[in-house]
Amino acid sequence: MTAPSHDDQIFLTRDAIDAAALIRRVRAAEDGAVVTFDGCVRNHSHGRPTLYLDYEAYESMALAKMRDIAAEIHAKFPIHRVAIAHRLGRLQIGETSVFIAVSSPHRPAAFDACRFAIDTLKRTVPIWKKEYFEGGAVWADGELPPMPAEAPAAKTAS
Amino acid sequence: MIAALAPTLPASYNSLVPVTSQTVRVKVLFFGRLKEIAGRGEDSAEIAEGASIEHLFAAFTAQHPELAPFRASLVASRNQEFAAWSTPLHAGDEVAFLPPVSGG
Repeated sequence: MTAPSHDDQIFLTRDAIDAAALIRRVRAAEDGAVVTFDGCVRNHSHGRPTLYLDYEAYESMALAKMRDIAAEIHAKFPIHRVAIAHRLGRLQIGETSVFIAVSSPHRPAAFDACRFAIDTLKRTVPIWKKEYFEGGAVWADGELPPMPAEAPAAKTAS
Repeated sequence: MIAALAPTLPASYNSLVPVTSQTVRVKVLFFGRLKEIAGRGEDSAEIAEGASIEHLFAAFTAQHPELAPFRASLVASRNQEFAAWSTPLHAGDEVAFLPPVSGG
């Protein structure tokens, strides 16, 4: 994958995500649209009230995979800039866990790219959340990332 | 092929294999519930040069049998890229065992 444009902003943080700053970051005079996805901590899961969530990541790989997503949506859609921020650590109900902003001259590309980005992030970026309830905690059900095919000849990429 | 045979040999196999065989050290990372089961997020392992990720996982399940049931619902990575279980390992590689991801 090629590196994302240097105007993109891709990061992990343990602090509150400043959505307004990310929107300002991606929008430019030539853009007619900014589409955002604000993923926030829900107060229930599987019918139980949630107290809070703890997020952890394989940070170096997560960042690399988030950059891959930015590169991929630049390649697939006629968009301008991308911001992807994911928060780690303890998050309270209602806080933003992930924020994505995509700008483009016209809205269809921004909608499509933003949707593709969050769907791909949830499937391929090594981040995990643990949900805390009254009396216990569970690791959230997740998605298994696609694995490379098994190669009997044992040839691998470096 | 040494990589395929080494993990099935007894612990004393080093005295039996040809001098061309090498043992290498790899870094191993556990995340999510696996980290809780393994009791640590980071470890290292000595394996035969070219041994697969599958063999490395088997070495850890020998130590922590409660890891074994998770094998079917894990993916692995080598040097921050998703990797097939048959991927051969070399000195200094960083391998991670990753439960289903749940970011977002």
